[in-house]
Amino acid sequence: MKFLRVDMNGQSVRVEEVPQEYAGLGGRGLTSILINHEVPATCDPLGPENKLIFAPGILSGTPLVNTSRLSVGAKSPLTGTIKESNAGGTVAAALGKLGIAAIIVEDQAPKGKLFNLIIDKNGDASLEPADAYQGMRTYALVEKLLGRYGEKNGVLCIGPAGEYQLGSASIQTSDVDGRPCRAAGRGGLGAVMGAKGLKGIVISQQGKSPDAIVDPDAFKNAAKVFAKAVKDNPFTGKMLGSLGTAGLVAAVNSLGAFPSYNATKGVFDGWEKISGEALAETIQQRGGKTTHLGCSQCIIHCSNEYVDKDGKYMTASLEYETIWAMGGMTGIDDLDMIARLDFLADDIGLDTMNTGVAIAVAMDAGYKKYDDGQAAIEMMEEIAKGSEIGKLLGNGPEAVGKHFNHHRIPVVKGQSNSAYDPRAMQGNGVNYATCPMGADHTAGNLVGAYLSKALNPLDAEGQVEASRNSQIAMASLDCTGLCLLAGGVLAVPEVRDALPQMLNAKSGSQLGPDDYQAMGIRVLKAEREFNRKAGFTNKDDRLARFFYEEPLPPHNKVFVVSDEELDSTFDF
Amino acid sequence: MKVRVKLFGTLPQRYSEYDPEYGLEVEIPDGAKVKDLLAHLELSSSDGGVVAIDNLVVNTEEKLKEGASVRIFQHAFGG
Repeated sequence: MKFLRVDMNGQSVRVEEVPQEYAGLGGRGLTSILINHEVPATCDPLGPENKLIFAPGILSGTPLVNTSRLSVGAKSPLTGTIKESNAGGTVAAALGKLGIAAIIVEDQAPKGKLFNLIIDKNGDASLEPADAYQGMRTYALVEKLLGRYGEKNGVLCIGPAGEYQLGSASIQTSDVDGRPCRAAGRGGLGAVMGAKGLKGIVISQQGKSPDAIVDPDAFKNAAKVFAKAVKDNPFTGKMLGSLGTAGLVAAVNSLGAFPSYNATKGVFDGWEKISGEALAETIQQRGGKTTHLGCSQCIIHCSNEYVDKDGKYMTASLEYETIWAMGGMTGIDDLDMIARLDFLADDIGLDTMNTGVAIAVAMDAGYKKYDDGQAAIEMMEEIAKGSEIGKLLGNGPEAVGKHFNHHRIPVVKGQSNSAYDPRAMQGNGVNYATCPMGADHTAGNLVGAYLSKALNPLDAEGQVEASRNSQIAMASLDCTGLCLLAGGVLAVPEVRDALPQMLNAKSGSQLGPDDYQAMGIRVLKAEREFNRKAGFTNKDDRLARFFYEEPLPPHNKVFVVSDEELDSTFDF
Repeated sequence: MKVRVKLFGTLPQRYSEYDPEYGLEVEIPDGAKVKDLLAHLELSSSDGGVVAIDNLVVNTEEKLKEGASVRIFQHAFGG
């Protein structure tokens, strides 16, 4: 396996063998440990010292199903912390098949210059001028790039928001159909890419030089066990393929934990109009796709293709967190409007969550009324234009709240909370508060524990321990390239054993279950170390004040986990 | 007694008479528990059904009350 080091200042690419200290790492483990070693923690995230790293998981590019997660890492301009944001699509598998463990983008292009990085089927890489693509939105850009370089490529790119270097700028990536509708959305990594002067990366999907699997038979056997478990599980094998992640709208509203109207209510008035069931019915009636292959080698098919009344494509894929941020938080109960906002976010290159919450904060502050979908669309277009208000909105909820002198800003370390209110799912509040990357549901979502009654969502008891275990498990999983939905089946004991078996069969290592867990702990320690060097302390591991003061209906609870308990989350 | 049941996920497909707006009205014996309702609906543990009443997940030993509004959705682990 090799690293590609891309020097944006000199416009050169250097190939190096993966140094021994990074052997056995992939995905988030590789991005976070590299950043902690190589990036000065106090650097300007939008300056030349920051590095932008793209790393497929350890198992990406192997025949194992659902291994198409790509980790993107840098110091975040949104949070000031270390950041890993991961995305599905086609690129992780493509990089794995090229034997590329990481692309490390360094320094910055001369001011005003833009480049594309092109990686061909032999893994040869070069930078090409991209000034002609300046200001282009992602759908038009990807169409041009795939037209020029061929459809058997995956693309990573930024839209106008990334070029403006906004705090909510995403890195969009192409799905199996070649649409830039998958995103490494969180943490403003699109702004880092924009600051580097990198508009897009085009990666051949025809690579034939993956890392050899040391024990192919053992790998195949364990991979079969895993794939069968994904198919047999009612959630991954059936529900996700029918309703997608939007199936959670009913469950989380039924538990009073769906933050609505900028987190003033736990049940959204119009939730049945924007539920997974309503979404599936609308798509079916119009001839869209409720089941859709979005990521390479996926057998879950949680993606969908949303179409308008005339059957014309509107967006893919409409997901739970976007429905929440662009719908529940803003009071918009119209799926067509939410689909339009989702498309605009992908096209402009914005995190749907941070942007939806920024719009909700603006509405809460009185800038526009809740449920005004047209106003929300106009706000998105202001971001695309780069107007003054657009830049505020594109920099996220905190920038908007400060501008309007409005204190109800549901963020941690500047990044928006997710679609589970901490007052009705206390452990998810622990995750938001303590995650090294700012509020992030993917770092250790406990919704499964609440649905199975393994944990009481409303009490402090047991939340920190559950969050700790979940954050460690996710940090390990994020190294593998496995999708977190598929990773949920690892709770089954025989499947849990299959994962270290596959890692060992791939590389010849001798990992046991404890070693797999230790990998997650190592990653979290590196991330926490980077943040400490950047000036963060335990006092930054807190929710916004109003979660401690404003009870959330219908349970009328506040966040009750004490600061001392929060500070014990990383006692390892 | 009667309880009103709303089903979510892929569960409604199993009942041809299911009305998504109203749900199902189910008649069960007085004092019936959640597990009795699940048995009546022929839902087994492999269906991954989660039962919520009054914004809380309830366990299968919970006694049902006349007129209860019951939601049954499928187990999930994040998205």
